Amino acid sequence: MTNVLTRPRGADAAPNGPEQYPAPRYRSLLGADRSSWLYWATIIVLAVLVLAPVVPTLIQALSDRPLYESGGVFTLDNFVRLFTEADFGMVALTTLAFAGLTTILTILIAVPMAIVVVRTDIPGRRIFGVGMQWPFFISSLILGFGWITMYGPAGFVSTWVRSAVGTVPWDLYTIPGMALTEAVALAPIAYLFCANALRNADASLEGAAQTVGAGPFQILRSVVVPMLRPPVVYSSILVFSMSVETLSVPLLYGQPVGITVFATFLYKNGLQSINPDYGILGAASTIILLVTVLLVVIQGKLLREAKRFVSVRGKATRPRLLDLGWIKWPAVVFIVIYLLFGAVIPIGGLVFRSFTAFFTPLANPFNALTLANYQRIWEFPVYLASIRNSLIVAAVGAVLVSVLATIAVVVARRSTFRYRKLIEYLALAPQAMPGLIIGIGLFWAFAFAPFGLGAIVQGTLAAIIIGFGLRALPSAFGSISPAVMQVGEELDNAARVSGADWLRTFTRILSRLITPAFGAALVLSFVTMLKEYSPAIFLGSAKTNVIGTTMLELWVQGNSGSVAALATIQIVITAVFVGVAGLLMKGNKIDA
Amino acid sequence: MPDVVVSQLKKEFGGNTVLHEVSLTIKDGEFFTLLGPSGCGKSTTLSCLAGLEKPTSGVISIGEETFFDGERNKFVPPEARNLGMVFQSYALWPHMTLAQNLAMPLKLRKVPKGEQQTLIHDALDKVGMAHLADRYPHQLSGGQQQRVALARALVYSPRVLLLDEPLSNLDAKLREQARVWLKRLQSELGITTIYVTHDQEEALAMSDRIAVMSSGHLLQVGSPEDIYERPATAEVAAFIGRSNFIDGTIRSVVEGKARVVVEDATAEFEVHADRGFAAGDAVTVAFRPERATLVDASAAAPDASVLLPGDILATAYVGSRVEYTVRFGKRTLLVDHYRGGFTGPVNVALPEDAVRLYPRTDVVPEDVEELMAVTV
Ligand SMILES: Nc1ncnc2c1ncn2[C@@H]1O[C@H](COP(=O)(O)OP(=O)(O)O)[C@@H](O)[C@H]1O
Ligand SMILES: [Mg+2]
Repeated sequence: MTNVLTRPRGADAAPNGPEQYPAPRYRSLLGADRSSWLYWATIIVLAVLVLAPVVPTLIQALSDRPLYESGGVFTLDNFVRLFTEADFGMVALTTLAFAGLTTILTILIAVPMAIVVVRTDIPGRRIFGVGMQWPFFISSLILGFGWITMYGPAGFVSTWVRSAVGTVPWDLYTIPGMALTEAVALAPIAYLFCANALRNADASLEGAAQTVGAGPFQILRSVVVPMLRPPVVYSSILVFSMSVETLSVPLLYGQPVGITVFATFLYKNGLQSINPDYGILGAASTIILLVTVLLVVIQGKLLREAKRFVSVRGKATRPRLLDLGWIKWPAVVFIVIYLLFGAVIPIGGLVFRSFTAFFTPLANPFNALTLANYQRIWEFPVYLASIRNSLIVAAVGAVLVSVLATIAVVVARRSTFRYRKLIEYLALAPQAMPGLIIGIGLFWAFAFAPFGLGAIVQGTLAAIIIGFGLRALPSAFGSISPAVMQVGEELDNAARVSGADWLRTFTRILSRLITPAFGAALVLSFVTMLKEYSPAIFLGSAKTNVIGTTMLELWVQGNSGSVAALATIQIVITAVFVGVAGLLMKGNKIDA
Repeated sequence: MPDVVVSQLKKEFGGNTVLHEVSLTIKDGEFFTLLGPSGCGKSTTLSCLAGLEKPTSGVISIGEETFFDGERNKFVPPEARNLGMVFQSYALWPHMTLAQNLAMPLKLRKVPKGEQQTLIHDALDKVGMAHLADRYPHQLSGGQQQRVALARALVYSPRVLLLDEPLSNLDAKLREQARVWLKRLQSELGITTIYVTHDQEEALAMSDRIAVMSSGHLLQVGSPEDIYERPATAEVAAFIGRSNFIDGTIRSVVEGKARVVVEDATAEFEVHADRGFAAGDAVTVAFRPERATLVDASAAAPDASVLLPGDILATAYVGSRVEYTVRFGKRTLLVDHYRGGFTGPVNVALPEDAVRLYPRTDVVPEDVEELMAVTV
């Protein structure tokens, strides 16, 4: 046997003879290689998932009768009735006011915080930075419960203030009250973008040198504000679109007093009326979808333009600190107030509430300590089942979503597939789909899917997993994509030339190199899906309640002690899971 | 190992043509180099050969087998071409040991385990890395990684070896050693090798033949000597080594001898003209600094066909020779001479065969020209 390494020059007897180690052969099916099959499978799965909730919604919006009745006729009447009978115009205005105010408050909270934490040497800035991650663990539904428990009309703090001053100078159940709570929940997102911009934009700090001796306001105006413009614009749009579609706070605060926004409009018309008007539901969903899609398109455009401000750079250089003089002290107080009154007191109060029989400053709650709230959950199988359901949905869903997201990223970024760009759009599209609309749309899709396919899924956990999974897909895609981009393309190319087809290059090389990112996507998806509930409002059945829907049910029954207990359980599960995952991933870091 | 034939290869990226109908034939066992400035399309050519990029049109074949044919819509994917390739970044898979890196192509080819062991050991031994087989890539120096990348490309006896600037990430000293080592290994193995570099010294030192490229065009293909001594175009002369360029006009052509008047008429000479020049043609005259000599203006004219009168502007002693900058009309000329001591007015003397004529081209970028122009 000779090979090229041992054969002396010119000793090759048969230069055109059979090769010693010929290139491997890969099977192809119906004239297409297996990689192409995967590309097409990916795009079809994504397209079906994304279009399933959208298409029935659009059809319903333009049909004169419910989808389940045959002989529907095309009509625009639903839209007319939406604005006349259903007063949707008022709903839109209310939504605009709520989302606008939320956005303003969010920015007012986030920007000073980012400046102080990133650019000054205040004590405890590290802790503040970590503290800003709390919404990762706590859903806005739970935050709403916490706020009502403390600051609601009969809340602990409100009662205490009333007994001290004789009146409560605020009312949570108003648009400003809703906006404030929502802003507290969304501020960390805006904070993240601003903080990244401040950390990265070191070049613009050249100006800082010229302002030596300048007053704090002058420094802020000439150095900090220009740096923050792009992230502020971007996160404003992001926060605005999130509050346009949010359900939790408007449902808890607005619903009882008749303040209706987009999401609660769908909730009310789809769920609370005995005889839902599907035409109106479809028309409203269509309009809301148009708005959210438009907002997401704007976001994408802004993000591309502001990429250099929001992306996390490779090397972490220590940013130069600004001396803002006395301003930083009011800023510290401001942060402490935000974290304490925004998150710590409501959540702490809610957790404490779960261990008491009643919760009011008028009687010492320590005398009423009890485990009865947990006991009730333990004793009713449906409540217990909802915890189990949530865990199953989050665990199975996280795996499925992360796998799908990984394949989508790799095909979108690393293949020569003709429609790879479309794959990216499809994977990110659910960003623009409010949870309730996914729920309604899938509900219709299952009801009218061909061959009775829908009936198999309808009312099972699989339906919930599909709904929640769609919601979690864009963030999973977004968390894996940078990791794939970081792996040099030459590593793929080297494998291809060595004889690996695209699929094998992925399984042998790329997939191994992005394992840490896959792990992170798993954690992110698990936590997201554990907190999720809105698609389940329409998709769920008595047997498939999740923690979120059960909490809502208990809340409506006035059983706030058990709501607090379930909320506590959800927070603990999240914290334990993230903790364990963190330890596992640290231990598993490969030596490469 | 059969010839590699590339014909009319064209590659566009979104309407932007990066390769303009490039045609090449690379012979069995040859060390063939693609040389050109960064961005001229060398890597793209190599990627098309490897199958990593799909050409827009043209034909690529090795021996009997056609890898790409634009007209017949035939495209063989990279994994089916059985070529070896070394990348600029080496592209060793970081999660595998060196042995595992080399085992990968063999596993893909379902080579029996025992034979794999032998092949891996032989290949690593050949590049002097057998003792480090169980290390991970990040535990190696750049030079070692480059050797392993080469071993990985050779372990399965590919038909052709493709190298994309494999030495450019090494420091200067190491690079020169690696050059000698790589060339020796290649000629021992006798494997057809296509080498990409922007470093002309590297190309001249290692290649059997060189293809000089510029913005997606092939300027010249030839032996290192051809390329250096007989540049086919003024661009090649400018890119390879140092050259002096003078604009001139042909006054007359008689029996293959062209009489050239230098632009500002400070000199006139007669040289052999091998292309179809005619009287009145605008030309660029090129010669290498080391082919010129200096004589005192007062001395008797030596036996040289071309004499260019000028003044010494600057002198630089560089050890083995002296580099003179000579003012000639409005521009400066570089002349290498074996001894120093010239000042004032001189004659730059050239043997006839040192002078080459090209159709008038702007080979020197304007900003450089400005720098070189004498402003007195
Ligand atoms: N994937 C690509 N998309 C668009 N343009 C490209 C791509 N790859 C290379 N180019 C362009 O093609 C030209 C040649 O590139 P390349 O072959 O890498 O040059 P070289 O290797 O000679 O430095 C460059 O102008 C480069 O910008
Ligand atoms: Mg290159």
